[in-house]
Amino acid sequence: MNSILIGLLSIVGTLAVYSTIWKLHKKIMLPITLPIFLGSILIVSVLLVFDISYDTYMVGGEWINQLLGPAVVALAYPLYQQRHLLKELIIPIVCGTLLGAVAGVSSGILLSGWIGVDDFIIYSLVPKSVTTPVSMAIADSMGGVMSLAAIFVIIAGIGGVIMSPYVFKVFKIDHVIGRGVGMGSASHAIGTAHAMEHDQLGGSVSTVAMVLSAVIVSIIAPALVSLMM
Amino acid sequence: MLKISKIVFHIAVLYVIFLFGNLVQQTFNLFVPGSVIGMIVFLIFLLTGIIKVSWIEEGTKLFVNHLTLFFIPATVGVMNYMEIFSATVLWVVGIVLISTALVMAIAGMVSQWLIRKKEFQHE
Repeated sequence: MNSILIGLLSIVGTLAVYSTIWKLHKKIMLPITLPIFLGSILIVSVLLVFDISYDTYMVGGEWINQLLGPAVVALAYPLYQQRHLLKELIIPIVCGTLLGAVAGVSSGILLSGWIGVDDFIIYSLVPKSVTTPVSMAIADSMGGVMSLAAIFVIIAGIGGVIMSPYVFKVFKIDHVIGRGVGMGSASHAIGTAHAMEHDQLGGSVSTVAMVLSAVIVSIIAPALVSLMM
Repeated sequence: MLKISKIVFHIAVLYVIFLFGNLVQQTFNLFVPGSVIGMIVFLIFLLTGIIKVSWIEEGTKLFVNHLTLFFIPATVGVMNYMEIFSATVLWVVGIVLISTALVMAIAGMVSQWLIRKKEFQHE
């Protein structure tokens, strides 16, 4: 009985936090008002203040988490709707994603080698730009730590979304395709969700870039690591 | 009421496809996650007309529009790692952010350059 109540409370609480912040975000549209960013901070704060463990929260949270898989499946729908345009755009998307992936993996290795962090941290952060399950698998296969990899993926996702308006401005990326490829390559599904809020074509391009990036990074990450380290 | 049951049905369809994707992933021991395999399968079903758009539209739209909601519980999990946020880890977070911005800039610029080149040729 008690666990049902706790579960219900965390589901209703998460939905309430999400929908409130979502409405707020629609009005002010600031990167820091993103539901995933502000919402997660708010929920973490509530849990810490009331000394509730993550496991307790996940009694209900797991129900929402379970829908993450079907939510990713749902991304095929915008892809389908944009299919004719995407066929035309495949070469720019593939080239952009490939060079982005090389830049991401090699800059991760170079910068962390420069600072001098432990090898297992490097292995965990190298696949940060791809969706969590893939990046965990890549990190694990190279000798990284899976939970660390998951954290770096979240930082790349939310950080990328927050930085995106500035990155696009500084590097003069104003084309909807360029922005979509950038979001999907750098910030995987979190970036794609954000791109989808703005524009369906950009979101679909981001979806394609995200899927391609997962495949490309899982091939080039072990190769570049053995080459550069 | 009818709309709600329709949406629940749509979500159930997505869930079954997701489970199928997981099954494919486990059977062939693939590195691509089950959800991504499910997405590709769903896309093939839509393209070949095995699944009609009208069968899944409302629920699917709802999911796509509120995708970030489903990431919140996993993100909250960061709270279990609060204590590792020491000075070196902050450096590492900095590296992750710089590298992420770099990926975004390069991927964006390359694709934009190619697209502009293509649009120019079309004109």
